[in-house]
Amino acid sequence: MGRTVGIDLGTTFSLVAYLDPATGAPKCISGPYGSNLCPSVVSVDPDGKIFVGEPARERLLTQPDRTIYSVKRLMGRGVADIQEELKLFPFRIDPDSRNVIRVRLGDKSFTAPEISAFILRELRSWAELHFDEPVERAVITVPAYFNDAQRQATKDAGRLAGLEVLRLVNEPTAAALAYGLHKQKRGRVAVYDFGGGTFDISILKLISTDEGEIYQVLSTNGDTHLGGDDIDNAMMDLARKAIQKGIGVELDPRGEEIQGLRKELIRAKHELSAAEKASVKFLAPNKTVDLEFQRAEFEELIRPIVARTMQPVRLALADSKLTPKEIDEVVLVGGSTRIPLVRKTVGEYFERAPHCELDPDEVVALGAAVQADILESGVKTMLLLDVTPLSLGMETMGGVVAKIIPRNSTIPASAQELFTTGVENQTGIDVHVLQGERELAKDCRSLARFQLKVPPGPAGLARIEVKFLIDANGILQVAARDLRSGQQHMIEVQPSYGLNDEEVERMLEESIEFAEQDFAERQLIEARTEADAILDATEKTLAEPRAAGIVSSELSAEERRAITDSVTQLKSALAGSDYKLVRQRIDELNQATMHLAEILMNSALQTALQGKRLEEV
Amino acid sequence: MSVTQTRTNPSGPAAATKCWSCQETGAAAHFCPACGKIQPLPAGADYFAFFGLPQKLTMDPAALESQFHKLSWKLHPDNFVRASEFERNLSLERSSELNDAYRTLRDPITRMEYLLLHLGLRKEGTTRQQAPPELLEEVFELNESLDELREARAEGGDTGALRERLAEAQQNFQKRLEEVDAELAGVGREWDAALDSGAGESSRSALLARMNEILNRRSYIRNLVAGVEKELA
Repeated sequence: MGRTVGIDLGTTFSLVAYLDPATGAPKCISGPYGSNLCPSVVSVDPDGKIFVGEPARERLLTQPDRTIYSVKRLMGRGVADIQEELKLFPFRIDPDSRNVIRVRLGDKSFTAPEISAFILRELRSWAELHFDEPVERAVITVPAYFNDAQRQATKDAGRLAGLEVLRLVNEPTAAALAYGLHKQKRGRVAVYDFGGGTFDISILKLISTDEGEIYQVLSTNGDTHLGGDDIDNAMMDLARKAIQKGIGVELDPRGEEIQGLRKELIRAKHELSAAEKASVKFLAPNKTVDLEFQRAEFEELIRPIVARTMQPVRLALADSKLTPKEIDEVVLVGGSTRIPLVRKTVGEYFERAPHCELDPDEVVALGAAVQADILESGVKTMLLLDVTPLSLGMETMGGVVAKIIPRNSTIPASAQELFTTGVENQTGIDVHVLQGERELAKDCRSLARFQLKVPPGPAGLARIEVKFLIDANGILQVAARDLRSGQQHMIEVQPSYGLNDEEVERMLEESIEFAEQDFAERQLIEARTEADAILDATEKTLAEPRAAGIVSSELSAEERRAITDSVTQLKSALAGSDYKLVRQRIDELNQATMHLAEILMNSALQTALQGKRLEEV
Repeated sequence: MSVTQTRTNPSGPAAATKCWSCQETGAAAHFCPACGKIQPLPAGADYFAFFGLPQKLTMDPAALESQFHKLSWKLHPDNFVRASEFERNLSLERSSELNDAYRTLRDPITRMEYLLLHLGLRKEGTTRQQAPPELLEEVFELNESLDELREARAEGGDTGALRERLAEAQQNFQKRLEEVDAELAGVGREWDAALDSGAGESSRSALLARMNEILNRRSYIRNLVAGVEKELA
């Protein structure tokens, strides 16, 4: 039975964490580059090899047309939704995209869940290397303000990465959990989560009961398209204008220079959190443009973006029927909360200094790991009661939406509706399900349309009860019950912006090949590195026994032969690409050198003890 | 989202009192008293019964909340991740019912509306509301002011005085709303007393009819207030 992890699938960075049984505390797992942060960047090379994370980020500069970042912005969205995004992000949308967007990476095209699955698979392999065990299940976090389609797309991504998604947890709720464990505080908490591409605000109540701690979300609000990316784009806009003025060149928005410039601007943005100014050099073919950002100027630039976060904050508070003063603690989450202006704005609104002692990048993954452990172990120490961020409704006469489950209802939540026919011999009833707060269907998010099949008969005779249920992941399920006829009818569902089951199945089949290939490749790299180290050490010792402080007579000729045999065996295994064989040969060499290692240890000990009296030892 | 369509289970309600797992009878509670397995919702159960409460309208919000937390702890799908699919579905059904029930009962107005709905005395969104006679004059004036405001705005004229007048009217109606709420609380207490004293069908029906009438009046005034708020925003 494999391991379970918590994953923060972020716009800019993704992380994987687990609950360390030794300490009982959640911990992030670092990747091959030593960092816990895996850049959410994916690149595909011409022969189909997938790069994820740091190597992909480097390829953003060299192969921008084969590389994608911020794919989270495309999750669960249709082509019409992302027209604004396309002006700012170099997404190459496949013209064949229908209800699900396909993005071109070189000559191939992928859906957003498939690209996210590459990121999840990378994190999964980090964890598998860490545990040396397969990882099969995960809790994945999503922005609290994600709608049904965006959540479903995230769940599909998990499935495509070969993970059983135990639960989708809202990012601010996960952060509150990590915070609550850390501080042992009770009361009303506001979590302000300003990440790379999304903004969330959640108001929670932390309650101690006889059974355990309850984290009850009272209300949530947000903007799934507002984040650090927007700040980068504002800086980019300014920089491009300055460059145009300086050298009279309009930069190609999809060119290679623009990614280099973007990288530099992000560095400057980070510097401005601590320094009063930061500069960026832009190297044009025949001229250099020096750009300097003063803190004050930067703050003026981003003030409108920061102001946009405050409207959801006010709405969430109003829904929880609380005033800013009634909030006991404010917790900051997400990389963008490192910006002093953000901290100042939030602090002034709530009239208290916000908490930022937990790493704002890690805190969501840590909370997810705690929830993953609870679901996996079945030992419940606390309970998250989350809410649905958006009202669920149905289209009625005249395109008006009738709300059936109000926003901020604790989930799971449900509603029943009774349907009947309006005209004689009507054989179907059309149902259009929507999510959102607006009054007209055209202004809300379409989740699905389906038809209830009814047997022909007089108008008003049919009685079909439809149950809408939002599960603990915030995903809608619909079940219909025919109250009159005993016949079973099928509903034809057309998810408005998602993959259907067959599509996911097909992608899953395709992706399993990728997964096995990736895993074997990674294992081979690891095994080779380890083999190189042990071969190096063994050969050095055998070649220079005296230098290693060993009397060669202590090692029998037979032992010596066994070692050289094992060395040869391991070397021949290294010529192939079977990581299991390499591992086996490593183990054999370890066995063969066990006595040698003992001798080495003793001799080292003797050297250390030489000239010391017994009392000193 | 995912969609399934199922047929009615012909043996539905009768089977509910027998535990699906150990066949012990009397398993009408959330869990079977004999084997501890989560049970399906019995047909026709109401939100009051879900919390083990009588159909009374006066409630202690803190007690209701703490009961909500207790039941959440037991029924939440977190507890059933490793259970059978059948039990997972029961947990989903029960915990959503719990949340629906709490959402409805914690607010005195939705609580009363639910009672009437459950007893078949109120239908949602079907009655076209008429202005209560005692408010006719005020409503007439309000609508006139609203029209004037829209007109003045369309012509780009000065709306200051009109807005002031409307804000005043809005405050007036807000006060009415508070009076109506007090009236509702009163009739609620009468209902509870009638239940306690085992009052007959006819006196209970009369109370319910009064609630219905006051609720209609309330929703009429609320719509007015909301309409003015929208115009003034």
